[in-house]
Amino acid sequence: MTAEALLQGLVVGCAAYLVLLYATYLALMLVGFVESRRTRRELRIDDLAVLGGSRFSPSVSVVLAAYNEAVALPHAVRSLLELDYAEFEVIVVNDGSTDDTLERLVEALELVSVEATSRGVVATERIAAYYRSFRHPRLLVIDKANGGKADALNAGLNHSRFRYVCGVDADMVFARDALSRAMRAITRDPARIVGLTSFVEIAEDPSRALVGGVEYDIPESKPLIAYQTLDYLRAFYNNRIAWSRFDFMLCAIGAFQVWRRDLLDELGGWSRDYTCEDIELTFRVHRTLLDAKRPYRVVCLPDRVGVTEGPDTVRKLVAQRERWQRVILETWWAYRHMSFNRRYGAVGLVGMPFYLLSEIVAPVFELTAIATLFAGAATGLVDWWHFVFVTAAITLVNSAFNAGALLMSDLNAPVYRLGGMLRLLMLMPLELLVYRPIMAWARVKGTWRFLRGDRAWHKFERNVRVEAA
Amino acid sequence: MDGRTTLALICALAGGAWLLLAAGVLASRIGSRTRTDLAAIAGEWPLYDEGDRTRSPTGARESETRMLLERGLRSDEQDVRVASITALAGLADRYEWAIDGLVEALASGLESPVRVAAQLDRLAPRPGRRLTPLLGHPSDAVRFIAVRLLARYPTLAGLHVPDLTRDPAPRVRAAALETLRAAHSAEALRCSLQLIGDPQPLVRAHACRTAVAIAGPVTAPYVAPRLADDSWWVREAAREALVGIGRDVALVVEPLLESDDPVLQMGAALVLQDIGPVDDQRGERSSDGELGRIVAAGGRRLHEAAAERARRGVGVDGRTWPLAEASP
Repeated sequence: MTAEALLQGLVVGCAAYLVLLYATYLALMLVGFVESRRTRRELRIDDLAVLGGSRFSPSVSVVLAAYNEAVALPHAVRSLLELDYAEFEVIVVNDGSTDDTLERLVEALELVSVEATSRGVVATERIAAYYRSFRHPRLLVIDKANGGKADALNAGLNHSRFRYVCGVDADMVFARDALSRAMRAITRDPARIVGLTSFVEIAEDPSRALVGGVEYDIPESKPLIAYQTLDYLRAFYNNRIAWSRFDFMLCAIGAFQVWRRDLLDELGGWSRDYTCEDIELTFRVHRTLLDAKRPYRVVCLPDRVGVTEGPDTVRKLVAQRERWQRVILETWWAYRHMSFNRRYGAVGLVGMPFYLLSEIVAPVFELTAIATLFAGAATGLVDWWHFVFVTAAITLVNSAFNAGALLMSDLNAPVYRLGGMLRLLMLMPLELLVYRPIMAWARVKGTWRFLRGDRAWHKFERNVRVEAA
Repeated sequence: MDGRTTLALICALAGGAWLLLAAGVLASRIGSRTRTDLAAIAGEWPLYDEGDRTRSPTGARESETRMLLERGLRSDEQDVRVASITALAGLADRYEWAIDGLVEALASGLESPVRVAAQLDRLAPRPGRRLTPLLGHPSDAVRFIAVRLLARYPTLAGLHVPDLTRDPAPRVRAAALETLRAAHSAEALRCSLQLIGDPQPLVRAHACRTAVAIAGPVTAPYVAPRLADDSWWVREAAREALVGIGRDVALVVEPLLESDDPVLQMGAALVLQDIGPVDDQRGERSSDGELGRIVAAGGRRLHEAAAERARRGVGVDGRTWPLAEASP
């Protein structure tokens, strides 16, 4: 085979991959539009305030795992304690932090050390101490030996009293109506919905982006954060909403994941065998319930439930995204028998192949496409006009997908400042040149680390924030 | 069509789509403002679709509205049923038939009982007697909700709910006990003491709480043995109930520190931690006297927690004392 024929084959292969990927994205985005419209209609006819304030609404144990989160944690805990919801408790698990996370929390919330007991459903690392607050009777703080995020969540699960458990991240600030929105959806189909996740906004400093749990001040002007905003919008509105509609929701995100407690008990909680715990648990729920032929749903809502912290430097962003890539690979590989397997319905026939197409082989194609395009242009096989047109086409298609996600978000809840939205629209065409290479690098790095068997979290430093009052 | 033309076409399509969607983003913002303004002027939200029409039947005559909503409750579409419930709840402030409609919706079981119950609970005390027929409903889900709703009506609860403590469904028995907490009758106390030995943990847990809520310290001898229950839920319920009695419970709980059962010892120590005796003896050595017995029963963490509270000069209930007094 000549070099020319090889190059030609690669060009055709990459083009076919792109066409398939974009056709899938387009189909998912159209479904996303229909689903978002349906949710908006539901919200108009549901009485959110009455449901959220009713003692009849399902009770929720919110579990927050924290490791070296001295600055972010007080903001997150305060916003949780101010949730507008009738029956909930907040369990904060300090996972053996080596900084002053616990001391700051004790001071900020006037905690006192007490002894308590556990349900003992899942084995965890040793509990060192319990703390309660006489000012906040809903709050329990557990101080335990370090065992990773999954272990910390399991410690929280062992102390959860309520029907649903909501796992959240320490770098979040929550909207006051976060639980009302989530549980509203669950009360529509409580017999089948076993898991739920929802859209989270992103900001450099969540405590400034969501003031008092009610007023949003977004999107951020920093380009790196703005591109992450677009990324999140696309991930949720263009993908997950459609996954949810067709019952192959493959990732209830760690920042906000609601599960039925009895199911978590049955499954033995979150697994410690993976770098991150959220995707694996979602896969395990699907496998277990599909194997047992039990009716169930895992859903994703377009509702904003809070703001999470977006890495404010390229280095931190790469560290975060390479970890995400690694955990996707770890999980997909562990559950590969479900892929293309009719027994697992939409999860096996659509969801897992989609992950394979869009996440797992993506780094290979991204690298090959870039190399092929440049090699083709340099050798004259691809003329410069083609090169420009291909680049322009990809840029504009990506921009259209981004604009679609932004439109869905704005129709759902017009919280973005107008100026910020215009800035997002203008940043879209540059995404391919500015943001995508960073993502491609992170994916390649993640894939490489996965192949080397790296399972470490590689925690990076949090952004600088204003201190909690 | 050659490759270059195809690519140009793709660019044009994608670019057009991007511009169109971007315009859509801006138009949606203007549109949302216009809708809000119109709504403010008209005094009602514009009617867009079936769900909305059912929710906002203003303008229609009362009888037509009632018929529309009754039909809506029986609809095959969940959105229409939910909209009917929300509309009925809104109209219930003015019309008694709307409350009847909600009770009927609960009895029909067509829509999530939680949603209907939340509205009926908000309307208390007006639903009142309309709820009692639901106590005999064949569905335990409906009986469960009906019993809980009666918690807002102590007189009605005292009359009708004791019978439900013999219901075959454990959650109905548990809900009946929860509701009887407000009734404060001898019959309610008798039921709760009887159910402290129920085979279902959920029922035992509620029985502990109800017994203490009705009669306080006199029930402590019945509840205290549940500190060694097989179920964590019952142990926790018993502990919380006993702690709720306050310091008077110490007389009943202290002897349990000498029990042969380590679970019972631990439960007793936790109660004594939460009602105060541990903090009261902060100046004493942990190996001596009552504090020594509590610490031995409660274990290392209870001891360390007490020592830390003493160091910081703060009690388990938030009381503070001078730090000098706190030093061991």
